[in-house]
Amino acid sequence: MNVLARNNVHVSGRGDGAMVFAHGFGCDQKTWRFVAPEFEREFKVVLFDHVGAGGSDLSTYDKAKYSTLHGYADDLVEIGEALGLKNAVFVGHSVSAMIGVLASIKAPELFGRMVLGGPSARYIDDGDYKGGFSEKQIAELLEFLEDNHMGWSAAMAPSIMGNPDRPELGEELTNSFCRTDPEIAKAFARVTFTSDNRSDLSKVTVPTLILQCSEDIIASQEVGKFVRSSIPGSEIVFLKATGHCPNLSAPVEVASAIRAYV
Amino acid sequence: MSESGSDEYRYLFENAPCGYLTIGPDGRIAKVNATFETWTGFVADQLVGQRLHQFLNMAGRIYYETHIAPLLRMQGSFNEFALDFETAAGERLPVIANAAERRDADGGVLFTALVVIKATDRRRYERQLVDSRSELRTSLANERETAELREQFIAVLGHDLRNPLAAISAGARILQRSGHLQNERELRVLNMINSTVTRMSDLIDNILDFARGRLGGGITLHRALRPLEPVLEQVADELRTASPQRVIETHFEIAEPVNCDHTRIGQLASNLIGNALTHGARDMPVRVGAKTNGKELEFWVANTGEPISEAAMEKLFEPFFRGDVRASRQGLGLGLHIASQIAQAHGGRIDVTSSPQETRFVFSMPLVQTGPS
Repeated sequence: MNVLARNNVHVSGRGDGAMVFAHGFGCDQKTWRFVAPEFEREFKVVLFDHVGAGGSDLSTYDKAKYSTLHGYADDLVEIGEALGLKNAVFVGHSVSAMIGVLASIKAPELFGRMVLGGPSARYIDDGDYKGGFSEKQIAELLEFLEDNHMGWSAAMAPSIMGNPDRPELGEELTNSFCRTDPEIAKAFARVTFTSDNRSDLSKVTVPTLILQCSEDIIASQEVGKFVRSSIPGSEIVFLKATGHCPNLSAPVEVASAIRAYV
Repeated sequence: MSESGSDEYRYLFENAPCGYLTIGPDGRIAKVNATFETWTGFVADQLVGQRLHQFLNMAGRIYYETHIAPLLRMQGSFNEFALDFETAAGERLPVIANAAERRDADGGVLFTALVVIKATDRRRYERQLVDSRSELRTSLANERETAELREQFIAVLGHDLRNPLAAISAGARILQRSGHLQNERELRVLNMINSTVTRMSDLIDNILDFARGRLGGGITLHRALRPLEPVLEQVADELRTASPQRVIETHFEIAEPVNCDHTRIGQLASNLIGNALTHGARDMPVRVGAKTNGKELEFWVANTGEPISEAAMEKLFEPFFRGDVRASRQGLGLGLHIASQIAQAHGGRIDVTSSPQETRFVFSMPLVQTGPS
């Protein structure tokens, strides 16, 4: 199997070291469009889509494999192997923070440093742990996702699947960054919001930086601090940026925080 | 702009039948119109300065943060998304919304304009569509599973039913050849066994064909170009053996080899003649004929007796249709159905005429001169 085609991997930039950007739940690698180019002069910049998102090969979507974050982490390790990456910088947003954590445990030599944007080890409250959501709310989210098909229709699927970058698709391109097969979107939401990686954090051996936004309802400060205290030797930076997607809403602040760490 | 024009714009902003909001670059609500206040039950003071997601339900908040906000940054606008606001009274306000960023020269956000349209009915309708589609999917999966089981069941059943029948038939043949059966009563019993075996065998064939046809397999043909007469003669002979007290007159004029599935046409003939034996007058012969004219094959079966009623005529070829007949002679009502399926598979048809003088089934099919495809 061609891993690079499967995950729609794009490599740009120059430099000895590599920087791998991983997108979170919702959209695709284009969410890094304002941040990734900032590093192309010093790094080999690697962008990819998780299988099911963006321009990935939907035919390789395997329900069982992707029913846990390990399936996504295995893909990340395979991408690293295919590109011969060693000691790369990993930048993961949202759920990809935990995918990076799992990948670094599976293949400790792959990443030399990790930057986790808005990480959460568990989204659902559990006793004293406050993930921010109740099980019922997550169930409602899974149902609600079906109310927004993002312009996805079965008839359009073939043109979307193969050609996410074709401008001649014109109007059909609308929402393409976030357009996903509804079944896959629902499955990815389920995997994301029901994941629990709290016990994995202590196994991380790679130096790690946490980027924490203010007023992020998906990953609160409390959740970020939990990740900070659970990953040995990790650091945390509190951004002025608000919301869950500082890579889009405050790319300059995000880029300089990454630069200061690597 | 004239004074009244400006009034008009203000009126439109405040009271248009949709909610208007502007959201500052910090993600906080800057302006709302009166319609939105009315719909949500909040006044402007309670809304302005707050983050939009505070007025959404949790699913909407997650969706806003993970889809809407990133899309707005990437493509500048996002149309036709569903959201649920929570009103001051704690009720759900389902809306359809469009949003667009107003940007400065450097691409920075000045503010985001949001239009919301109340869509309670529309959203309920769409939800019902989604629900019914997922119900359909589930029941389709169940149906498929059931169909598969049924198919396996039928295959096993066919096998299990045929085996004992073959044993009975072989036993009867041995008895017949042994020459031990001398008196008329014993020979009559032997004939009865043969007749039953034939009938039973036909029934099993029909059941299996019907089941396969219904399960999507349809009737598959194995065409060959060879003489058809011997097949038809053999079918007539079998039925004569099975019903020795009846007369079956045959008159075949098939000049050329026929391109068809000979076994299937034999089955069709057997079903039609069997039907005539069952329903025709018992003291009168069943007349069977076949001829070709270079273009068409015609095969017919005629009997006398009670004509077929008009009501029965309509349903004659439907599966499990059974006319009025003695219980002991009743089959499953599949014979004519299968015969018509075989006819159709050959591009042909079966026509029926029935009068007090005669009931006649005519099967006709076009002659194809090519060999097996």
